[in-house]
Amino acid sequence: MSVLELFKALQSSGFGRFVGSLDHLFCALLELGHIAGMILLLASVILTSLNLLGLGLSSVPLAQIQRSTGKLFWTGLTLLVVSGLLIFIPAATSYYPNDFFWAKFILLGLALLVYFTLYRWVARSDSHHTWLAKATSGLALSLWLGVAFAGRFIGFFA
Amino acid sequence: MSLVEFAQLLNDSEFSTALRESVYMFPLIEGLHLIGLALALGLLFFVDLRLLGLFLPQLPVGQVLHPLRPWLLGGFLIIFATGILLFVATAAKIITLPVFFYKLGFIALAGINALWFELKWGREVGHWGNESTLPAAVRFAGFTSLTLWSLVVIAGRLIPYLSYQ
Repeated sequence: MSVLELFKALQSSGFGRFVGSLDHLFCALLELGHIAGMILLLASVILTSLNLLGLGLSSVPLAQIQRSTGKLFWTGLTLLVVSGLLIFIPAATSYYPNDFFWAKFILLGLALLVYFTLYRWVARSDSHHTWLAKATSGLALSLWLGVAFAGRFIGFFA
Repeated sequence: MSLVEFAQLLNDSEFSTALRESVYMFPLIEGLHLIGLALALGLLFFVDLRLLGLFLPQLPVGQVLHPLRPWLLGGFLIIFATGILLFVATAAKIITLPVFFYKLGFIALAGINALWFELKWGREVGHWGNESTLPAAVRFAGFTSLTLWSLVVIAGRLIPYLSYQ
């Protein structure tokens, strides 16, 4: 099955048609959930990245920042995925030809990859202020902001 | 000149029309507005949670408030600058939406709350900020800030939503 066929199947499924038939206000609610999730996730990423750069709450050890923001990061990501899927499924085929849609998910894949490999590793080794820590932090932050930017662009080029 | 006439005038200006009709400029400004939101409200969120005793409660409040302040204010600067541009670009439509005035109202209230906190408590954070349980008024200010800014975001998101209807 090709990706386009998968998108068609999702959209025309019982669940896809059900979500699509819901009130417009439900749609606005999903978008608000998406924004709330974005604020939680980006705020956690920003605070941790600033710490790796020796900025922001630089007096607090990185491990402590990560512990305190971990829950917010995961709550944010969960909100984003759930609301994102519910926004995507009823209109799946309209996203298929959208370049920014694909750009968003390439950036998201890279952001998650960097976040769970290099970023984690640098954070664990607590090697603050080294060029590697700074580069990793800059890269992760740029990728996450890129995801948000690309996401905002999707709607303008539908 | 009434507010609506002024908005119409703004809307018909060359600058506004160019912004509105540009393929990349308008989404770019929207994107920056969103990033500024994550920076300003995201970091303010941590300050509010600290005031409520829910984030790094063992850390003195001043050590959360002061290092984050320049980033937070930088974020607000981005939001305000891009927000004004977004208003200019779509003034004629936005001025007819009650939800826009709700948003401005919530921003004004949040601003008053922040100003009150800064004048009454923020300047003397060294005196009270090390306690494990913070004064009730401080916790109230944190809670009010969280609530009002959430309402600002909700009203703000409804603006484009209601504009297209």
